[in-house]
Amino acid sequence: MTTKTTTTDTDGTDEGATQARSASDFGLRDGLADISDQIGLHILLVVTLAVISAPIVLAILFSTQSASQILNIGGIGFGSEAVNNYWTVLTEYGFGRYIMTTAIVAVATAIGKVTVSLLAGLAIVYYDVPFKRGLFLLLLLTLMLPVPVRIVPLYELMIRLGWQDTLLALIVPALASPTALLVLRQKFRSIPTSLVENARLDGVGPIRFLFKVLLPMSRGMIVGLLGIAFIWGWNQYLWPLIVISSEQKQVIQVGISQLQGSVAAGRPLWGLIMAGTVLALVPPLLVMIGLHRPLLKTFNYQTQ
Amino acid sequence: MNSTTAPEMSREIYTSNWQGYLLLLPIVALSLIFAYYPALDTFRLSLFKTATFGLNSVYVGFENFNRLLSSGVFQYSLVISLAFAVVVVATTLAISLYIGYLIHRILQGSSLYLVAAIWPYALPLAVSALLLSFLFHPTVGIVTRALETIGIAFQWRNDPVLAFMMVALATTWKLIGYNVIFIVGALATVPKSLEETARLDAVGSWRLIRRVYLPLISPTIAFLIVLNTIEALFRPFPVVDLMTNGGPGEATNLIIYKIYQDAFAYQNLGVAAAESIILFVISGILMYAQIRLSDSYAHFG
Repeated sequence: MTTKTTTTDTDGTDEGATQARSASDFGLRDGLADISDQIGLHILLVVTLAVISAPIVLAILFSTQSASQILNIGGIGFGSEAVNNYWTVLTEYGFGRYIMTTAIVAVATAIGKVTVSLLAGLAIVYYDVPFKRGLFLLLLLTLMLPVPVRIVPLYELMIRLGWQDTLLALIVPALASPTALLVLRQKFRSIPTSLVENARLDGVGPIRFLFKVLLPMSRGMIVGLLGIAFIWGWNQYLWPLIVISSEQKQVIQVGISQLQGSVAAGRPLWGLIMAGTVLALVPPLLVMIGLHRPLLKTFNYQTQ
Repeated sequence: MNSTTAPEMSREIYTSNWQGYLLLLPIVALSLIFAYYPALDTFRLSLFKTATFGLNSVYVGFENFNRLLSSGVFQYSLVISLAFAVVVVATTLAISLYIGYLIHRILQGSSLYLVAAIWPYALPLAVSALLLSFLFHPTVGIVTRALETIGIAFQWRNDPVLAFMMVALATTWKLIGYNVIFIVGALATVPKSLEETARLDAVGSWRLIRRVYLPLISPTIAFLIVLNTIEALFRPFPVVDLMTNGGPGEATNLIIYKIYQDAFAYQNLGVAAAESIILFVISGILMYAQIRLSDSYAHFG
């Protein structure tokens, strides 16, 4: 019997049962050895993960401090300028606008990616069309063509389409996602054939089949894919830097580099830079933490 | 087609060809227009000498490649990009295996620890770069000042090796999240009975790791080596751009940064395209090698 099949699904009662059983199975001495072993593991984990997360905590603390508080040694703690720093960054340095633009790009990319992949997945799994294996392979091979491999012609294409310096350039070229298609195909193929057979016998059309069977059956997977695509869209840097030229349409990751440039001239206002950095980090971080269960399930599908 | 297996056969409940192709049209059109066409055009462009975008291009054959491969700056960029990939892959895997193993062994609170370990997946590389730049800032950085008090002058901006390490650190930090996800997932598939047997035989934990865990999760490790290599070759642009601008000297002038500079700062589009092709070939060879490698390792599982 396994008590811990997947790490994500463990809850308190399961873990309690495991401990109780291992204590009785291996006797009191082994039980005590187990407990000290576990305490050691907890200490190692807490220390390691604290190191990994410390820069974020420091960024949040420094984002509340004034320039002089940061320059004064020993000033780790909340400063007096929290409201001031964030307000300045949001209003004077355009972060309110950056957040809006980036949110539009990330949400549109996520919804578009998943929609396009859902349609293709429906065709690949449930239609008997010629050459679909070849087409599927063609789509998968785009994994070999990340943006740096096609960056110059892609930029020229944006100019010819008149999309240079528009949000279309940030959204549309990103919509074909081989990984989303791969995961959805895998999920669709795991739906019981009896359900599919019922749909066929009832004469359910493809659109109704998509909405009544496929979408409800793969809800977790779709949420996971939306989360992954949102994080990806929010974190873009190189492509927006190239294709967006007016500051009014720029995204937040490029925004923080411009913030660094503008306030670093003269006396660097690190409190402001940290406030901007925290704003650039928080949305994808919240998506990651809030959706970690569907995200993990989606990732697990990728390796199958 | 007729080579499909029985269960898949029964899934193909729709036969209308035009409907099927209509559903496939968006993703196929997007892939052709925004992935295949620009990628092929990169090949074409790599054979031209260009002055500015779209104007004055002259066919020069393989001259761009010849000039690049004999250029000291490019050779150096290539070597440090590969060295960078090796450092990032090794560091990321070592840290992630260590964290993944701890999370696998822990009985209480493993979900909480997992979330605390995988969050860097959401970390934007630009944020990673700016945070580390600030914490290690030569004058105001809290880490630099802490190191100063114990007598270490950590002036990484002027030191080629330290600058390289800082760029690698900012990249590794993000990659840990993704790696831990897959390592914990792989460890969870190791049969509990094997672990229990090993424990009853009083097998030491180090031997348990080497004889049981590592062989069984080696396909996942091979997959992660491929993935991390590609990430290290294609993604660290924001880190270089924000932390070092390729310097000091050429110490962090990774090929992905050089492509950007050649194309968009110096407008040498043909040269940049040739660099893209070389990067593509290298990553293709690495991918192929790793897929072969993971095939041979998979027999352990």
